[in-house]
Amino acid sequence: MRRKGLTAAAVTVAGALLLAACSSDGSGGSASEDPDTSGGDSPNELTFMYRGSDADKAAYETAIAAFEEETGAEVTMIITDADQYATKLQAAIAGNKVPDVFYVEPGRIQGYVYADVIADLTEYVDQSVVDNLWDFGVDAYRFDKESGARGQDGDPFYALPKDVGPFGFGYNKALFDKYDLEYPSADEPLTFDQFLELAKALTQDSDGDGELDTWGTGLNVTWNSQAFIWGNGADWISEDQKTVTVDTPEFAEALQWFADLGLVEGVTPSAEQAQTLDTYQRWMAGEIGFFPVAPWDIATYTALEEKDPETFSYDVIPYPVANEGDDWSTWIGSLGIAVSENSANKELAAQLATYLSTDLEAQKTLAAGMIQIPTLKDYALGEWIETDAPAAGWPENTKVFLEIAEEKGRPLPGTWTYTPEWYDNFWIGIENVVDNGSQTAADYLAAKQPEMQSLLDQSWVSADQAKAAG
Amino acid sequence: MSITAPPTPQSTWTKEDAKASRKANRKLHRKEYIWAGAFMAAPVIGWLAFLLFPLAFSVYASLTNWNGLGNMVFIGLDNYVMLFQDPYFWRALWNTVFYMIGIPIGLALSLGLAMALSRRIPGRTFFRTVYYIPVISSLAAIAILWQWAYNGDFGLVNQFLSIFGIEGPNWLMDENWAKPALIIMAIWKGLGYSTILYLAAVQAVPRSLYEAAALDGAGGWRRFRTITLPMVRPVTFFLVVTNIIGGSMIFTEINIMTPTGGPNWSTASLVWYIWNKAFKNLQMGYATSMALVLGILVLIVTVIQFRMNKRNDFSIE
Repeated sequence: MRRKGLTAAAVTVAGALLLAACSSDGSGGSASEDPDTSGGDSPNELTFMYRGSDADKAAYETAIAAFEEETGAEVTMIITDADQYATKLQAAIAGNKVPDVFYVEPGRIQGYVYADVIADLTEYVDQSVVDNLWDFGVDAYRFDKESGARGQDGDPFYALPKDVGPFGFGYNKALFDKYDLEYPSADEPLTFDQFLELAKALTQDSDGDGELDTWGTGLNVTWNSQAFIWGNGADWISEDQKTVTVDTPEFAEALQWFADLGLVEGVTPSAEQAQTLDTYQRWMAGEIGFFPVAPWDIATYTALEEKDPETFSYDVIPYPVANEGDDWSTWIGSLGIAVSENSANKELAAQLATYLSTDLEAQKTLAAGMIQIPTLKDYALGEWIETDAPAAGWPENTKVFLEIAEEKGRPLPGTWTYTPEWYDNFWIGIENVVDNGSQTAADYLAAKQPEMQSLLDQSWVSADQAKAAG
Repeated sequence: MSITAPPTPQSTWTKEDAKASRKANRKLHRKEYIWAGAFMAAPVIGWLAFLLFPLAFSVYASLTNWNGLGNMVFIGLDNYVMLFQDPYFWRALWNTVFYMIGIPIGLALSLGLAMALSRRIPGRTFFRTVYYIPVISSLAAIAILWQWAYNGDFGLVNQFLSIFGIEGPNWLMDENWAKPALIIMAIWKGLGYSTILYLAAVQAVPRSLYEAAALDGAGGWRRFRTITLPMVRPVTFFLVVTNIIGGSMIFTEINIMTPTGGPNWSTASLVWYIWNKAFKNLQMGYATSMALVLGILVLIVTVIQFRMNKRNDFSIE
């Protein structure tokens, strides 16, 4: 009887787990609906797996049609939802159905190279093509298999950039006009003190009802604090990517200053109002003076500006730095186009990857759609910045984005390491510093460093193991 | 008179006949065996392919260092040792257990609703439909809607609370309220399903039992406690078991509503942590060991429930 009960329980659990695993409830997706991602078999057949918007699709459909005509290739496009892409690609890899050409994130390069999933493109791509791409666009996919070093000029590269995404900073001109403040410079970064002074001037109860109506800024610590930390000369990790460096005085000073914008200075909406969505909405409602601006926001912001320029009119500026003369920087992202190491048509696949990354017409379409800045340097710094960008409605100081792409951009910490877990760990508990102030930045960082270091060490051990396992 | 032995009956059943008969039987049986085998093979092959093989593979994977991309390297029980020393595993497990608080609340509400909807009230079909709509809706879509509803400033929930002069918390950004917020949403989502099952069970209770109890002077509460509750217990048992299994796998709403695990990691469930380890941090072997531990924990809880249910079992003659 006991055995029967145990069996019944086991069968129930197993059955339910199986049914749950088979069911589709949104984010999991249904395996049965998945298209075949395997690479093409015939000499001219290729599969291209990617994620993106309808605009991406439209731009690539045109580019691929031209590529097919030019090379006689037959390309099957497989598009997936952005949030499911990584999981589906991993399933395709595990099932040995790797597409010939596919999107890859810079942080995934090491794992894919060690597992022989992606091909070294160095020998397939002309140096002239590489020279015409933003340095970061190629460096993001460079990897030295032996030393484990990432992003070093001259190392083999395993993908070409689909885009580069400079995470810029902006201000609301309409709000500056309202309070009769001078616009910040597009060439010289504000110092922290100047920024704070302006933020205070922008934080006002404009209708006299006793409640604040506008604020200097409203920044999300997870995505917006990097530039300020770097702007104070601090960093999360050492140059060799082996030591967590968050326990330095510069780091603590910058993080505390960032937290105090809300906690002490009161130039941001209160913690309760500081959900990302809220500050984003407030920025677009013309209530916030300074806010991040990235290329993928441009279409929305420009439409808003056209609709109501009295409330919202924006431009891009450099991120503030601690002291006058300091170098400013911000993070830059990228998405790459890689080729399967086991593709039956590797050369043709590499040709397609190059075409998608560098096709001028596709780049023009994507930039005109205000989705990304062009990946091609000659076009971006010439025709685009001079005529195409202003015509399409990009802001006046768009050159700041190009400056970030060219030299001011740095990858998010964690991008160069085998896994980003150590960096993700930094944000667990950050609310205690920036939202409620129950912990000082120095205390928080002192406690965090060993935990992050342990995860970073583990990441290196995992990288070595992956390298050995192949 | 001579006594002669009776003639022995001349048998017409020859050895050849017996042989032929056995052959025919064998043929017939073979056919039956083949069919029986074929019928049995379907579930057995399914069981082997979809249960035993994945399970065995998972057990092996949990004993390896595997990133989900390359080759597996056998490391014995290292993943399990690491798991028991991993504070985030325990936090995620605690969060997952905390989410189970919603199960009794949801069941109580479902039973109450089922009893209300079993009465001949106007518009009951409409209400049954309304309560069932969340069940058939996409969980991802629902999670996005609730994320908006929970928005601290503009959310429907706080706007509703403000009618009564209550200043609602910033639900998903407040460490103390993020988990209750997800529980409320889960209860709302599952209410229709439990209510429909309870409705069927409540309507199946023989009227005669209530009439007899009423004649004996039993009041409404006593009738509910001594007739309705025991009679719907098989449904309650089924719902508790499936809700615990389902609750232990809570993932989608967490990943959408609090993609970084919530304030101070307060909403991270075990499956969310497993998913992160497997797909984001390339620790498929370690993630598999956690999945197996979760599976074993759920199995233990289910066995206990089966035993408790057996102890309290009864039937009406």
